[in-house]
Amino acid sequence: MNGVIKRFRIMAFAAGIMSLLLWFVELPVVYLLDNPELASKVKWIPFVHGYVYAFYVLAAIHFTAKARFTIKRMILFILAGTLPIASFVAERRVMKEFPLK
Amino acid sequence: MNQSKGPWLKNSGFVAVVVVLALVFIRLGFWQLDRANELRELQKPYVEKPIVALSDVAAPSENLRDSAINRVVEFSGQYVAQFDAPGQVDNKNRVQSWLVGLLEVNGGGAILVVRGTQAEELPKGEVFVKGRLMVRQFEDRAPKSEDQLSRLDPSLLVATYNLPVYDGYVVAKSEVLNGKPLNLKRAQVDPVKPKVPGYYWQHISYVVIWWLMALVVVFLPFYSRQREKKAKGSFN
Repeated sequence: MNGVIKRFRIMAFAAGIMSLLLWFVELPVVYLLDNPELASKVKWIPFVHGYVYAFYVLAAIHFTAKARFTIKRMILFILAGTLPIASFVAERRVMKEFPLK
Repeated sequence: MNQSKGPWLKNSGFVAVVVVLALVFIRLGFWQLDRANELRELQKPYVEKPIVALSDVAAPSENLRDSAINRVVEFSGQYVAQFDAPGQVDNKNRVQSWLVGLLEVNGGGAILVVRGTQAEELPKGEVFVKGRLMVRQFEDRAPKSEDQLSRLDPSLLVATYNLPVYDGYVVAKSEVLNGKPLNLKRAQVDPVKPKVPGYYWQHISYVVIWWLMALVVVFLPFYSRQREKKAKGSFN
């Protein structure tokens, strides 16, 4: 179980950081600032976020299945990767419920 | 009889929801895949298509079809008015004022024609025009007045001229009046590239996510059943 939790924690951090970058860096630069040069510098963010989220979903399913969570909780964990802080909150909850031995 | 119908109906409803959700996610995946392919197509160099008659690709009072955008068209008619269109940008990013005529097309309707970049008299008589058909502009580049257009948009003239107008405008490559070519300094424009937001690998990553979601939706009922079985097993 420890390995599964560790994998989930890593992916929760990665997805959280990428969501923060997407919401608060890439989207404002592309849609609020008229600066194509700056926009080209942040173009890596959305697609790295896309792949990180895919791996986060797999890690979340693996963890929640192992922990025998309800479907509702599993879905909430999956969706947590889409919002900037939600995956950090999910990770904190996991650490409270399943402290690493 | 009624008792056995209940769970069956419940299950079939549940299966229907799962199937619909999975199909929606699969469709969303294909949508992103299409956008990724569109982006890849846009990166290829533009291939010029043969010249066509304006009436073959467009009609007055109709929205310009995607297939008509960028086509080099030919038509003839008479100019009824002429305007300046300041703040226009050519293919070398030079901001210019363009000379724009409203031409009543033989066969019906009127179309905006970007004639050139310098002031010139309005030709009298039938003019044969060859030029590239472009999408109308949506943002103003200058104030509108009687002899000035704020943007290249035929809808600005609908109220003034009682003519059905073609959507979009034509950037003239040549004009012939009474068999003689009119030598004007023409505006230089490149074919417009429709913009698809995002990047190729970004769309591919969303394809992965949507299809992964479809798999998750199909997996969840099995997970739920297995979970219930395990719970019952540990209870017994």
